[in-house]
Amino acid sequence: MKKRVPNLSLYILLIAVVVLMTVLNPVRFPTRRNFFSMAYQLPFLAFLSMGQMVPMLAGGINLAIIATTNLTGIVTAMLLSWLSGGSSWDASLFITLVAMAGGVLAALAVGALNGFLIGHLRIPDMLATLGTMTLVEGINIVLTRGYTLTGFPDFLIAIGNDAWGDIPIPFIIFVVLTILLGVLLNKTSFGYSVYMIGSNYTASKFSAIDTRKVIIKAYMLSSVFAAVTSFIMMGQMNSVKANYAESYLLVSILACILGAIDPMGGSGRLSGLVVSVLILQVVSTGVNLLRMDPFFVRAMWGFIVIVVIAMNHYGQHVKFPLGFHRWKRAEQSVDQ
Amino acid sequence: MMKKLTKQTEFYLALLIIALSIFITLNNPRFLTTENIFGLLRSFSVMGIMSVGVLFVLILGGSPDVSFTAIAQVVQYIVVILTLNYGGNIFLAFLVACALGVLMGLLNGFLVHKFKVPTIIITIATSNIYFGLLYVFSKGEVIFVIHPMFREFGQLAIGSWVGQHGTPYGLSLLAIIWLLTLVAGWFILRRTQIGRNIYAIGGNEIAAERVGINVFKTRMFVFGVIGFLSGVAAIVHAAIVQSAIPNIIVGQEMNVIAAVFLGGAGVFGGKGTIIGTFLGILLLAIVSNGLTLLGISTYWYNVLIGAVIVVSITISAIQQIRQEKTRVRVQVEGEVTA
Amino acid sequence: MVPHFGVEPQQIQIRTGCCDSMSKFLQMVNIQKNYGGVKALKGVDFSIDQAEIHCLIGENGSGKSTLIKIISGDVQPDGGEIQIEGRHYPRLRQIDSLNLGIRVIYQDFALFPNLTVAENIAYSQLVEKGDRLVNWQEIHEIAKAATEKIQINLDLHELVGNLSVANQQMVAICRALTKDVRLLILDEPTSALSKVEIDQQFKVVFDLQSKGISIMFVSHKLNEVLQIAHKVSILRDGEMIATLPREEVDNDKLIQLMSGRKITYTRYKGPETTNGKLLEVKGLTKKNNFADVSFSLGRGEILGITGLLGSGRTELALALYGIAPADRGSVVIDGKPVTIHSVQDAVRAGIGYVPEDRLTQGLVMKKSVRENVVPIVIDQLRNKLGLLDNGEWRQTVDHWIDELGIKVAHRDVEVRTLSGGNQQKVVLSKWLASKPKILILDNPTAGVDVAAKSSIYEVVRNMAEQGVGVILISDEIPEVVNNCNRILIMRNGRLVEHLETQDVTEEEVQNLVEMTGTQQQQISGELR
Repeated sequence: MKKRVPNLSLYILLIAVVVLMTVLNPVRFPTRRNFFSMAYQLPFLAFLSMGQMVPMLAGGINLAIIATTNLTGIVTAMLLSWLSGGSSWDASLFITLVAMAGGVLAALAVGALNGFLIGHLRIPDMLATLGTMTLVEGINIVLTRGYTLTGFPDFLIAIGNDAWGDIPIPFIIFVVLTILLGVLLNKTSFGYSVYMIGSNYTASKFSAIDTRKVIIKAYMLSSVFAAVTSFIMMGQMNSVKANYAESYLLVSILACILGAIDPMGGSGRLSGLVVSVLILQVVSTGVNLLRMDPFFVRAMWGFIVIVVIAMNHYGQHVKFPLGFHRWKRAEQSVDQ
Repeated sequence: MMKKLTKQTEFYLALLIIALSIFITLNNPRFLTTENIFGLLRSFSVMGIMSVGVLFVLILGGSPDVSFTAIAQVVQYIVVILTLNYGGNIFLAFLVACALGVLMGLLNGFLVHKFKVPTIIITIATSNIYFGLLYVFSKGEVIFVIHPMFREFGQLAIGSWVGQHGTPYGLSLLAIIWLLTLVAGWFILRRTQIGRNIYAIGGNEIAAERVGINVFKTRMFVFGVIGFLSGVAAIVHAAIVQSAIPNIIVGQEMNVIAAVFLGGAGVFGGKGTIIGTFLGILLLAIVSNGLTLLGISTYWYNVLIGAVIVVSITISAIQQIRQEKTRVRVQVEGEVTA
Repeated sequence: MVPHFGVEPQQIQIRTGCCDSMSKFLQMVNIQKNYGGVKALKGVDFSIDQAEIHCLIGENGSGKSTLIKIISGDVQPDGGEIQIEGRHYPRLRQIDSLNLGIRVIYQDFALFPNLTVAENIAYSQLVEKGDRLVNWQEIHEIAKAATEKIQINLDLHELVGNLSVANQQMVAICRALTKDVRLLILDEPTSALSKVEIDQQFKVVFDLQSKGISIMFVSHKLNEVLQIAHKVSILRDGEMIATLPREEVDNDKLIQLMSGRKITYTRYKGPETTNGKLLEVKGLTKKNNFADVSFSLGRGEILGITGLLGSGRTELALALYGIAPADRGSVVIDGKPVTIHSVQDAVRAGIGYVPEDRLTQGLVMKKSVRENVVPIVIDQLRNKLGLLDNGEWRQTVDHWIDELGIKVAHRDVEVRTLSGGNQQKVVLSKWLASKPKILILDNPTAGVDVAAKSSIYEVVRNMAEQGVGVILISDEIPEVVNNCNRILIMRNGRLVEHLETQDVTEEEVQNLVEMTGTQQQQISGELR
């Protein structure tokens, strides 16, 4: 068999944008300082995208991911304030960890609910998570009454801002979690099952894969990434609010598409996603350095995705047959 | 007949709306006044108009368009600036808005058809492009003073009564535009061949091609419609808000989509009605209005809507599972079938 | 022990049949079609008379669907001549074919499940007329006229998605009849129909034929072909092997012509004594599926279950495998009672299941052989760290590829590219790897060619010899008679016959199944 490099076009694209940004901005782009700042910013988008990627591989989508991220932050912040008697910025490490655990639990609860609706009740992923998204957003608003919660202890601030030698802490977390997720997806039966279910739910069920359990786990894992994103965000912004980062919901999906994660599920590599996030970050930083409007970045991202879709299309890689939803339906009808 | 009725989402949605209305009215009789209802219809007209476009897209394929808010946002900003600089009248404003909207919608449709990619994927990308470019060119600046014709247009109404606090009110033209959109949408979906073709493609695209439906043309029509309605909504929004804020419409897309799903549209395409879509938006309106009238903080709005969605999809999923369990697969000899 | 296959050279005279005096509706000469480098049709001659029921048979990949597509104008041939009603068509386009009154009813019917019966029937005519507005009254009139043509009673307001498969097919036929039809092509029309429904369909077909419409009936079910055909054409590897009148063919001859070899079974004997019951099922009942099913299975035994479609045989298997668990009754394996509520329960109890529908249930088509062999045993492929051991994984997969002789270039090849027989072997290896006590096979040789069939039987027999209890569900009577120790016949959700294969012949079993079919018909006739 001929070995071909998977996602070759993505690697080429990454090199191209790095070269382009270097040419456009030879003074400021290829500098240590710039790479340092990219390493701070990258993990936020990376974690959200990974949280989106796992359900997508299992054939779903998680529209509630941003709501879950904010819920984690809000629950953590409120627990901090409550446990420390109102002076959350002075909270001890123990209290901080307890509060964070509370936030993670809240996120896991949302993930379990998503997984239950989708895995047990077989509600279409988009409907289920659109529902929980609205619900959790509502809970976030009710909990905060629309206010911004602020003032966090050093530990949380450090998670978002400190560096270990020359390497930012968020980046270290990013490397560790990427490796862990890679192992989980490629080296465990859970990962194997996720890919199988994403490719064909019914056949997986007939092959004795415990679809319910795997789908619940996939959405809970998605929630874990939402929670980690939340901690990074709390550290970097020193505040939480009910509607932070809402626009990143679509960006997290966009990153997956760019990373060649099949939106119908079942195929896509973590390495592709990481390269995708790198591309998005390089474009973002490069455009910012050119002192262009930060929103131009959004337009660029959208444009790149269209270009990649077009390239895939003309490269005979027609990935999404238009009738995909009917195919899914046919599968569901033989279910039960 | 009754049995057929109880199978439909619209029936339960209507029941829920009636129950809510009774509950709210019992606690605050102001709810069931024409003044309140007319106000409600006016303030939800923007979402209402856009929801019809979303319905068309969901019938066609089940994968939602998420770029219509970005389209409306871009259109609104451009038209507001154009009218400030060159004047003009409201018809011209509508004309330009709709033309721009149709253009952007058609681009979406073309990309979806050409690359055979789910609508949500393409429109995530294009909404980023539309919205990103808008921000680049507008620099995010809010235009507080817009052409007075928008305000005048927004005040047009049919009938004139005196409200509770002595303020005059009528049925706003904006609400009428929404209602007209509903009627037109109903007519297209129910009474025209292209409308039936939308359902047919949503039901089975390959079969649609086999019976000779021009799928490309139909798809372009649908994306043209949602673009057109985004244009209409943009002007109506300007007439209500009387300013152009470049990020006020964007972010609403999921609420509108949720309402259309609530109204019975499906994620597999081929399903959904105008009545259901209207009821879906009406439910959002009544919950929002009811909270105010009952003196409950509007912070609870999303929780209630979210709960309604989660509970309703859960109930219908359980119903479906139960139905599946009782389905007769084999006529078992000697078994009494209920 | 193993079925024996003798290949005999065939000498067939091609005959144009009895009806030279009648005018030909369609005549095709030396039709060729290549896809890439593959020759799908290698100079095929084919013709259909007016008002003739002409059956076309052939194994998968023999070129049947290409021939249909050429007649319908979907595909242009690379060479050859097409003549319809005496006129030459150097280039037969889709529109020509439609205008000539040629209609194809595809296997998937091409219907809109979300629209009503009336609209589905009228749709092609409406599109053709090209009106901008819809006249609902007209739609109902068109639909009503079409249903009256074949005297069928359908609720025109019902959604097509709520209809039975048989009625959906009637809707598709009605749609074809909204215009003037001269040739109706039915592509695998009976594959999902029960006996009663097939009889009803045949009535419609004969009725249409008596009205002067030619029927081309494409099928692989030979007993139905023999029941309905005036003439039979046999395609093999893109070549037209023969066209024969009904009187000159029988079941064996058709099989021979289709596969190019003669199939001779050897009977399976099974273990001398089946002491120690492996599986005992008592009073198993599931409402609307089956009732009061009791049987037992010994080690090394192959138990056949047959019956018509809709008799509850697949439903019984799905209950034992935990996909759709039973309501009542007991299942005892190795003397221990087991409760089966899920697939996981069944697998834990040692039950495996090879589903009928390989494409959506048996395999994950988009994934490789490597991934499809291991789902049941995935947890055994872990190393000390608890992580999947790629080396062991590869070894396991290669072992099974070798053991079952799966023809595949590499273990990382996607299973969808494999032939039907090799795909089925992948499904079998999935279960072999898990070493089940009991294996249930549901129509395991559907859609595989004769050579692959024999090797599948071989695998199944070997398993049984090693002590696995096998339940073989099939509607091919020779398959169960020759491979099983005992046969159970199901009808209307109940077990009605229990036969020892050594005491019966294929004909007897066939008759028992057919007889219950007529009884069934009487019962349902009375109900109406």
